[in-house]
Amino acid sequence: MKFNRIKRLLLLAVCLVLPMLSFGAGKANELFAKGNALYAKGQYEQALNAYRQVINEGYQSAALYFNMGNASFKNDDLASAILYYEKAHKLAPGDDDINFNIRFANSKTTDKIDEVPEFFLARWWKAFILAFSTGTLAMLSIIFVLIGSAMLVLYFFANSISIKKASFYISVSLLCLGVFAIFVAVMQIDYFNNRRQAIVFSGSATIKSAPADRSASLFVIHDGAKVNILDESNGWMKIRLANGNVGWIKDADVKEI
Amino acid sequence: MTFLLLWASTLFAQTAKFTASVSKNEVGTEEQFQIDFSVNGNMEGFNPPNFNGFEVLSGPNESTSMTSINGSTTVSTSVSYILMPVKEGEFTIGPATATINGRRSGTNPIKIKVVKGRPVPQNSQAQTGPDNALSQASAAELSKSIFIKAVVDKSNVYQGEQLTLNYRLYTRVDIEQSQVDNLPDLNGFWNEDIKNLQQTTHWRVENYNGVNYHVADIKQSILFPEHAGNLTIDPLGMTFVVRVQAQARDIMDQFFGAYKDEKVKVKSSPLVVHVKPLPEGGKPDSFTGAVGSFKIDASVDKTEVKANDALNYKVKVAGSGNIKLLKTLNTAFPTDFEKYDPKITDSVTDAESGVSGSRYYNYLLIPRHQGEYTIDGLKFSYFNPATARYVTLTTKPLHIKVDKGTAESNVTAFSDAEKQDIKTLGKDIRYIKTEDTALNKPGDEFFGSFAYYALLFVGPVFCYGAFTYRNRLRKINSDIVQVKSRRAGKIAAKHMANAQKQLLANNQKAFYEDVFKGLYGYLSDKLNIQYANLNRETIASALKARHANEQVINQLLGTLDLCEMARYAPVTHISQQEVFEKAKGIIQDIENEI
Repeated sequence: MKFNRIKRLLLLAVCLVLPMLSFGAGKANELFAKGNALYAKGQYEQALNAYRQVINEGYQSAALYFNMGNASFKNDDLASAILYYEKAHKLAPGDDDINFNIRFANSKTTDKIDEVPEFFLARWWKAFILAFSTGTLAMLSIIFVLIGSAMLVLYFFANSISIKKASFYISVSLLCLGVFAIFVAVMQIDYFNNRRQAIVFSGSATIKSAPADRSASLFVIHDGAKVNILDESNGWMKIRLANGNVGWIKDADVKEI
Repeated sequence: MTFLLLWASTLFAQTAKFTASVSKNEVGTEEQFQIDFSVNGNMEGFNPPNFNGFEVLSGPNESTSMTSINGSTTVSTSVSYILMPVKEGEFTIGPATATINGRRSGTNPIKIKVVKGRPVPQNSQAQTGPDNALSQASAAELSKSIFIKAVVDKSNVYQGEQLTLNYRLYTRVDIEQSQVDNLPDLNGFWNEDIKNLQQTTHWRVENYNGVNYHVADIKQSILFPEHAGNLTIDPLGMTFVVRVQAQARDIMDQFFGAYKDEKVKVKSSPLVVHVKPLPEGGKPDSFTGAVGSFKIDASVDKTEVKANDALNYKVKVAGSGNIKLLKTLNTAFPTDFEKYDPKITDSVTDAESGVSGSRYYNYLLIPRHQGEYTIDGLKFSYFNPATARYVTLTTKPLHIKVDKGTAESNVTAFSDAEKQDIKTLGKDIRYIKTEDTALNKPGDEFFGSFAYYALLFVGPVFCYGAFTYRNRLRKINSDIVQVKSRRAGKIAAKHMANAQKQLLANNQKAFYEDVFKGLYGYLSDKLNIQYANLNRETIASALKARHANEQVINQLLGTLDLCEMARYAPVTHISQQEVFEKAKGIIQDIENEI
């Protein structure tokens, strides 16, 4: 009757998880494939339209945003390209292709913004928590916990002392790893939630010292530049550039990632 | 042009003449001229006139000369000033006075006309003496007799299209000397001279505005406009010394004809050429600025070479147009070929009809590795101004077979010299993702979903279950009596299996013994009674204490009696099979009840 309970649990899991992994999005998938085919033919504008329809259907994925970024880039729309790449980056922060294209697109922008160097530990920590997507981390945590539990069960029933010892330590470390994976995933979500960013879309945007037109102009940035949003106030955004400069920009000049 | 203004009289030389003369009586503002007051005799008490309207740059400069001819000595004295007009208009320089040979005398007043700018040039020779013929022909008259015209064959061209520029000299007077004042800069054009000034001129007669002129092309150029817009062709300025007929002044002149030399400055009028930009629509990628009409041909000197041997790739571009302005070609050699900059040879003729000829590009290629290679067809585009279209020509692709070379072996180098860096040909974004394309709805992330938590808790729940199960197991195992009683059925089953064997072997005695042992053993374990203490009474009381069925107890006791009896005497009223079934049934019954 113990096995019956486990069986029931497994059945429940299968019933709940499988629908989430299966794609009920037949039409969206078709559109996505169509966009890919159009991109391969070099019809970037049409490809972008197909991808946009996928978004309109209510779906998204890192690959979709990545492909939209590529199509925009090929259309010479640098600002859109960077916006889509950043959206893709948010969904799959550790993806090498996405990070490469972000760097490549940023090298084509007008403004050369020198980043304020971060403390190396902070940089490493950031790279670490962004190395895997939350989906991967979730899977990892489940696998760790399941194997850890299995090891614990082995510990309960093993007769030999050496097997008991080994299984205990392995189980404890695996369970710790599972909890750590959850912690990293939460940190990653927190990182993206606390970091509001936007891409400049207008050809040249003047950054003011206060949220008013007649205030002093501080500097000018151009399309494709990435800014951190600090605050918002009727139609204006307080932003900070990567080099540390702070000022106010009009809402209409930027699009939030 | 020089005018000697005044002769006081035509008297004999010994009569003192006090005269005033100017180097010219029509001057431009800011132009210097000289005024001389001279007398053939001694001059005392010279009193200069008022030079109103002029600035004295230098003077008075006095000079005295003495000549002795046939014993008679003449002395002449002169005072000169160099003047510059201050403003335009007509001025009169009043008389100068001096005491000459004891008599006070004055010069004539002189009229000076000051015009704006530089006036008509003068013949410097005329200044040297009064004997020279004087020119009186007006500038306007001369400009009709000699002028330069700039002529282009077309004034509406495309950028880069060639046009011919001719500076043509028209004259009706004899030219003694010529000299170039300023050559046109031809800004905005790349030009190729067909004929230059130094070359001999061929004269022909041409009728222009109803008058016959001698015409010569003095300078011919082919121009290639370098950018679009209205481009101005600068004028060509020349100075000619021409001989014109002068009015006869005396009988000798009338007889021989009087001529005078005159300097004429001639300038062509500027010319505007409208240059249209090349159309943007349909401009091929391979277009690099060739305008005209061309043909292209590519060839290699050998199609089969050994690695590290040189190969010549020749491209001939022939036609008419800006052939000398052609840039390097868009060659597409296999990247494994070593390529050197091309040697360019031109064989171009410049004629009035335009520049035409051919340009040869000779590329030296060195294949470094064996294999079959293809040199892709060369694309060459030009703009044909006649049809206003772009034309793209493509040469045939050429196949080159490269055999293994011998030179590789004698390359003395380190072993890793054969390795080469990967050449970066270009940079681009990474290609789109076509796999792993699972689409999600926003907010449907797996992390944090119910399914995630459900899966996550499967492990701990399973563990908890296992833990409680183990604890229960331990508790059960720790009670030996219960264990024994639980295992009693199994042990009995073993004995019964043995009994069945004996039954089949028809070993009666052994059979009954096994059945007896099985029942006794079973009861000992089940009822927790020592084997030695087992007897009819203890069994019956123990079973009764556990509320066993009376009928089962009686059956059990009966069977036990039967087995005991059968061990010593044969049993006939019941078959062995029946006993076996009965014993099994009893064990089953007890097992179910207790």
